[in-house]
Amino acid sequence: MHVHASLPDFGCKKSSAEVDKAMAVIDTKTQEKKLAVSAQRQERRQSITDILIFLVPLLFFVILLYGTLFWTVYVSFTNWRTIAPNYELTGFRWYNFLINQPRFEVDIVNNLKWLILGVVPTVVIAIFLAYFLELTPFPKVEAYIRTLILYPVAMSFIVTGTVWSWMYEPQRGVINTALRSIGIDSGFRFATNPGTATYWLILIFIWQYLGFSVIITQSSFRTTELQELIEAATMDGASRLRTLFSVIIPNIRAGLLVLVSLLLISTLKVFDIVFIVTNGGPGISTDVLALNMWVTTFQQHLVSAGAGIGVIIFLMAFILVIPYTIYAFRKWFE
Amino acid sequence: MFKALQAAYPDIEVAENPNPGGGGVNQRVVLQSRIAAGDYPDTFQTLGGAELKNYVDSGVLEPLDDLWTELDYASVIPGPLANAVTIDGHPYVVPLNMHIQNILYYNMAVFDELSIEPPTTFAELLAACEAITTARTDMVCLGLGSKEKWGDAFVFDSILLENGGPEYYVNLFKGGVDLSTDEVYRTSLEQFQQLVPYINTDHSSLTWDQAVGLVGSGGAAMTLMGTWAIGAFTKGSNWEPGVDFGAVTFPQSPERILLFHPDAYGMTVQAPHPEATMDWLRVVATPELQIPTDVTQGGLFARTDIDPMEFPYPIRQELQTYVSENPDKLILDQHGSILPAAAQPAYWDIISAFLVEPDVDSAVEATASLMDTFGVAEESAWYSWP
Repeated sequence: MHVHASLPDFGCKKSSAEVDKAMAVIDTKTQEKKLAVSAQRQERRQSITDILIFLVPLLFFVILLYGTLFWTVYVSFTNWRTIAPNYELTGFRWYNFLINQPRFEVDIVNNLKWLILGVVPTVVIAIFLAYFLELTPFPKVEAYIRTLILYPVAMSFIVTGTVWSWMYEPQRGVINTALRSIGIDSGFRFATNPGTATYWLILIFIWQYLGFSVIITQSSFRTTELQELIEAATMDGASRLRTLFSVIIPNIRAGLLVLVSLLLISTLKVFDIVFIVTNGGPGISTDVLALNMWVTTFQQHLVSAGAGIGVIIFLMAFILVIPYTIYAFRKWFE
Repeated sequence: MFKALQAAYPDIEVAENPNPGGGGVNQRVVLQSRIAAGDYPDTFQTLGGAELKNYVDSGVLEPLDDLWTELDYASVIPGPLANAVTIDGHPYVVPLNMHIQNILYYNMAVFDELSIEPPTTFAELLAACEAITTARTDMVCLGLGSKEKWGDAFVFDSILLENGGPEYYVNLFKGGVDLSTDEVYRTSLEQFQQLVPYINTDHSSLTWDQAVGLVGSGGAAMTLMGTWAIGAFTKGSNWEPGVDFGAVTFPQSPERILLFHPDAYGMTVQAPHPEATMDWLRVVATPELQIPTDVTQGGLFARTDIDPMEFPYPIRQELQTYVSENPDKLILDQHGSILPAAAQPAYWDIISAFLVEPDVDSAVEATASLMDTFGVAEESAWYSWP
């Protein structure tokens, strides 16, 4: 029967319609069984390839990322101070050197400024802008505005930095020239005033990251649960502002977690804007850790010290971002 | 540049890996990575002075004593140029040119109009600035681009050179001056501070060539920059040397010293093609290479036996003539520096910071601690002058 049934295509005679029917039933059943067996086999084979497909990039990732990470930590304890590598271990010598450099304190203060002023205003403005875009009764206008504020994300920091240095140039820059043409002598020195230069640089960062932040925030608004909550709140007569603060913000933690973490890391490793617009100047007033790392490694050729700055940036990210992530997750699952 | 090589040695194939721009900083990044990875090029361009010493200390370059003897190169180039590329008694590169740092370029129309002579001392510079800013409210006196950090150190170098003289200048950057009691450094900082009102306020956002552009567009009357600025004037602003702009070396008191750095080529210790590389270095030493290269790239001839009239403009002809006749008036500048390479960016930071927030005491203190931190006295001991 089995053989027979399993070989329907090899010209078996069909005696009667009934047998035929019964056979057909058995036939399909057996085939189902067979299919299930081969599917299992296939699945097993599939899962092996799956694992391989997963493992190869994972290994690549681990070696590339963590390998170089540990390598950097190792180099920071060696005595590599010229062009050619020197792996003689010298302990904390270069960390000591770094901390005693006048730039270092400036860097830490500036990086903290970036951290706070680059993240908080961006997130706050993004929430309001996203909410405003959600509420607007003109969906077409919304699409335009969204494209408009998303546009800066598409540009590299090199371009943004160059464009903004043309805007900021005190004598012949766009902003001051425009102001002069309407009779205002602003006297703004922007990025050439050592006292305030860093803030003007942070403004560029906010401008560049705002559109991206709005998109993330907006997408986190659009879960069904949240939409239902908003509807309920509206029906209960809550004002729009009240809805934002009491309903929306407490319920978009997932989005905010992603957003804040990404912004924290971006501000910690900021390099491009500073390098292009001020190169750390005037004096060393806008210097940041990442720029210091570049100068130390490639201009001063103090490779171990440069690696040390890399480690310090990494530790700062670790100390700041990890606790925040844990905190945000806990709140989320409460 | 490679045409001269092709003409002399048609069999040698050249694989170029140029990394242009940024004062060679990007090239250094690539080179550093390649050497760290053991992927040595045959040859590369480097400056003399501290940067060269850095390569030599790293054991990257082959000493070229035999080649120098064969070419008798020391006898056809200025002594200070040979010193600038000789470390612990061995020459490591073949220099092809010299760039001069301390040149004051000025707008001739403005100087004629106000009948001012080009300044050659600090006092004359201040007086000229006074006259220019009084007569021309739309113009700053000294255009400066300090974004790369070394532009302001150039100006300060000239002030130091006038106040201290050449021996002091060399001694300072060799870490031999006790800054806690030294008056020259202090006075020079104070004079630098006196210049601040005459400098464009946006200097920290301008690069050196933008500062040249500022003079070219009538925004500033002068700028202090190296020989490479001549090309920026002629190409960037369409200014004719000797017609639209003039140039003087600054200062010329107590004597006319030219601060310089060479561009040079050496051979790496793991050069894949040592024979061809030696041929290349022989070509670098020839007038056939130096004349066309230096004329187009700026700078002066390394060889003093080349006719200065090979240069197109009187400004460069005069400089070359002076160098050929007074070869001992050359001292290493900020680029091919006497200061060790590791200390140099830190020194520029001090001068840049002083320029935006002048505080003589803290600048003196910072410089003294820099000399100490980077062991300058020991690290710069290799340099001898004249």
